[in-house]
Amino acid sequence: MKEGVNSKLKLDCQSFLGENSAAVLDSSRIAIVGVGGGGSHIAQQLGHLGVGEFVLIDPDVVEDTNLNRLVGATQRDVSKGTAKASVAARVVASVNPCARIWVETTEWQMCAIALRSCDVIFGCVDAIGERQQLETAARRYLIPYVDIGMDVHRIGGEFSIGGQVALSMPGSSCLRCMGIIDDHVLELEAKQYGAAGSRPQVVWPNGLLASLAVGFFVQLFTPWRTTYLPSVLLEFDGEAQTVSPSNKLPYLAERNCPHFADISSLGDPFWTAQGLRRSAATAKD
Amino acid sequence: MRIVFKITKRLLEEVRARLSRPHPFAFERVGFLLCRAGLLQDGGVVVLSHGLHDVEDGDYLDDSAAGATMGPHAIRKALQAAYNQGVSMFHVHLHLHSGRPRFSGIDQEETAKFVPDFWNVQPDLPHGAIVLSQDSAFGKCWIPGRKAPVDISSFAVVGIPMRRL
Repeated sequence: MKEGVNSKLKLDCQSFLGENSAAVLDSSRIAIVGVGGGGSHIAQQLGHLGVGEFVLIDPDVVEDTNLNRLVGATQRDVSKGTAKASVAARVVASVNPCARIWVETTEWQMCAIALRSCDVIFGCVDAIGERQQLETAARRYLIPYVDIGMDVHRIGGEFSIGGQVALSMPGSSCLRCMGIIDDHVLELEAKQYGAAGSRPQVVWPNGLLASLAVGFFVQLFTPWRTTYLPSVLLEFDGEAQTVSPSNKLPYLAERNCPHFADISSLGDPFWTAQGLRRSAATAKD
Repeated sequence: MRIVFKITKRLLEEVRARLSRPHPFAFERVGFLLCRAGLLQDGGVVVLSHGLHDVEDGDYLDDSAAGATMGPHAIRKALQAAYNQGVSMFHVHLHLHSGRPRFSGIDQEETAKFVPDFWNVQPDLPHGAIVLSQDSAFGKCWIPGRKAPVDISSFAVVGIPMRRL
């Protein structure tokens, strides 16, 4: 039986992902920002896959209204007020005790430096403005950003479920190119600031979208075919129970993203030599 | 100190293509990668490449002692680009073999002379030199405040699929 380099997982059943796939996955460092309905599924699946290092970020604690969808959370977590990120860490560690897990229970902007050395960032946050900020942070350090979004809308007298999974690769189309972020939506969201209320969320679309996001990750790092990733934007129709590549993709294929084209969109915005010396000294301490 | 060098797959392909063009008399071509930098949590540095600054055909010296020898105009134009754009500069050339490349003796001597000159125009930024093979890379980074260069710890190619060189 083959084992991951630093893992107790027996990964023979996924050896078709490549001879070195266990080592590649074990040496991967991923961040999940928002470990709620969608992010908790992603953490669980990446734990099973044998990903070695996790940065799990969520400022919220488990509430009783989360139990309809939060993978790994229990009634006991509700009564103890366990952090969602700690629940995800527990789920991952229960599968792979050798995983290196960093739990951050603050807003991601407060620990953004932890994201810089990640190989992939999964964004599982609701607000469009926050998703834009997160994608911008990922692009600064040339990190692929996988975004999942799900919505339940009331149309007429009935409800409709939809969602999408997008891979924002540095150098290629971004969420704005894909039409997920636009100024009109940002403006509407800004007007509703502070009055968002609770958004309807259910477990099965979350799980489905999270699985597709994990599929993007696997195709990026341990592709099992030589034809790579036919789509970077998948759309979910909850009524038809279908997932389809977005019909926007043919138009995006040959277009360079104009939104992160400038070199100033890379790296630390306020780099100084003093900052470098301070950072190196702090790291030694 | 950990130094991570990142380049998009698209830019790497472009670099390979532009440096592979035949030159009227030089045996190989060289260029400079325009880069920005970021601090890592462990005190390391991530170097993020963004574009290639070509050395123009007329700025090579006809010198059989090396595969490519840059003349003073080549260095001056690269210094000017670093100054104008506020960027780190990483000298780049190709070795046409597989496996991990190394700097030749001339590479080591010459880079040690001209790379620190970029601190005259961008004193706060790291600068360096890299050599690419068909499937790997090697490089050194000059960090502000340190005299000796540091080996680049890892090279990441950002694209589909993701690769480490």
